[in-house]
Amino acid sequence: MGFLDVTQKLFEGFGVSCLLFILTLVFSLPLGLVISFGSMSKFKPLSWIVRTFVWIIRGTPLMLQLFVVFYVPGLLFNIQLFSGDNGRFTAALVAFVINYACYFSEIYRGGIEGIPKGQYEAAEVLGMTAVETFFTVILMQVVKRILAPISNEVITLVKDTSLARVIAVAEIFFVNEMDYLAYGIVWPLFYIAVFFLVFVGALTLFFGWCEKKLSYYRV
Amino acid sequence: MKRFTRITALVLAVLMAAFVFAACGKKSDWATVEEKGYFVCGITVYAPMNYFDDDGNLTGFDTEFATAVAEKLGLEAKFQVISWPNKYMELNSGAIDLIWNGFTYGNESDGKSRTEYVDFTYAYLENRQVVITKADRVAELNTAEAFAGKKAVAEGGSSGEGVAVELSGAEENVTTFTSQSAALMELVAGNADFAVIDYQMAKAMVGTGDYAVLAINEAVQPESEVYAIGARKGSDLTAKINEAIKALSEDGTLAELAEKYDLTNDLIPNIGAEA
Repeated sequence: MGFLDVTQKLFEGFGVSCLLFILTLVFSLPLGLVISFGSMSKFKPLSWIVRTFVWIIRGTPLMLQLFVVFYVPGLLFNIQLFSGDNGRFTAALVAFVINYACYFSEIYRGGIEGIPKGQYEAAEVLGMTAVETFFTVILMQVVKRILAPISNEVITLVKDTSLARVIAVAEIFFVNEMDYLAYGIVWPLFYIAVFFLVFVGALTLFFGWCEKKLSYYRV
Repeated sequence: MKRFTRITALVLAVLMAAFVFAACGKKSDWATVEEKGYFVCGITVYAPMNYFDDDGNLTGFDTEFATAVAEKLGLEAKFQVISWPNKYMELNSGAIDLIWNGFTYGNESDGKSRTEYVDFTYAYLENRQVVITKADRVAELNTAEAFAGKKAVAEGGSSGEGVAVELSGAEENVTTFTSQSAALMELVAGNADFAVIDYQMAKAMVGTGDYAVLAINEAVQPESEVYAIGARKGSDLTAKINEAIKALSEDGTLAELAEKYDLTNDLIPNIGAEA
C-alpha cells in the first residue's frame, strides 16, 4: 500500500478517465456542428425537433442520462445494447458525446450567427456557392471566436468524466472508492486532485498557445 | 411538408418494428446465458465473500463458489463491481445476471420481502446482522434501548439498514452508503454511533487494520438470516444454479471452500437434499 502502488492504481483509473475525455471530444465536436446546422435550419420542423432535443439534453442532469443510456434499453425492451467487457464504458461514451455535442452546438451557433451578413453578401457577389462560402470564409473566423467558450467546456469535461462512476465505469474515482476509500484510506482522494490539476494545467497552456496562433489580423 | 410527413412516418414505422422484433426475440435467461458462455455476478468488494488478494486477483468464498457453479454448467463466471443500491436495476436491465455477494434472503429496509424483486436460489450460508461500535463504547452501549435515538450508518438497501432503523427508532437517524465498508469508515471517522453490517464481513474485517478501533457489540443480537443468490424474477437460470449447488454440496466442494475461508460453522449442510 505504498505511494507507488497507489500512484499506479490511480493512473490506471485516470487512463480510463482520459480515454473517455478524448473519445468524447473526437465524436462530440463534429456532431455538435451537425446539430448546430439542424437548429439553424430554414426547414422549420427540423429546427424545432433539434432545438427540443437540445433543450431536453441540456435541461436534464448528465447523471440521469447515463442511467437512461445504460439501463433503459434492457429494462424496457430487453435489448442488451452495451454487453461485453467494455459495455459500461461505451454506454458512458454515448451519453457524454450526446450531452457535450448539444452544448458545443449552441457555441457553434453563436459563433456562426455572429458573422456579419455583409460577408455572405460579398461572397455571393464574388460568385461563391453557399458551401464554399461557409468553408473558406466563415468557418475559420468562427473557430477563432469560439475558442474561449469551447476551452471552458473542454475543461469542464475533464472533471465530468468522474460521473461515469454511477454506472460502475472504472474511472479514477471508482478505482479510488473500491480500493482505498472503502478501506478507510482517505489520502488518495486528495492525491486525485493532483492528476486533474496537472491535466487541466496542460490543457490551459494548450488553449493559450492556440489563441496566440489564431490571433492574426488583430489590430 | 408532405415529404417531411412521409419521412417521419417511415422513421416511426421502423422504430416500432424494431421494438416488436425485440419483444418477439426475447429468449429465456438460460438460453441467453448459454449462448454468451458466461454469467455476470454483481458484487461489492468485501472479505470473505469477494475481495482482492495481495496480488490484486479477485478471490473469496463467493468468488470461488460462483466459479465452481459456472464450471458445473459449462460456463464462465464474470464479476462486476456494482453500486449496491442499484442492484435491482442492474439485474432487471440485464447488465448483470445474478446478485451473488452475501445476498441476504430477507426483507428490504422498508419491510418489503426481497422475493418481490428477485427469485432466490437455495440458501447456502448462515448469517446475521451485527451491531458495530467503537471498542471503547461497548460498555456504554450495552442494551438495545441504549441505541434509541443514536446515529447509525449502514449500506443502502441492505438488511442491516432495516435493523439500524429499528434500533435507532427513526429513519432520520440512519445514514446509508453505497457499501458496507463505506459505512464502517464513517464509524471510524466518528460521524456515527453505530453501524449494522453482515456478521461474515464483521468477522473478517472488524478489529483489524484500519478498523482496529471497532468492535462487534454483542449487546444486541438481531435474528439470524441466510445468504442466497438472487436471479431475475421468473428466470430459468435459478433451477440450473440450484442443480449445480446441490451437486457441489454433495461432492464436498462447498465444505472445502467453507473450511478455506473459515466458514465451516455457518455453511448449510446437504443443500437441496429431500428432507
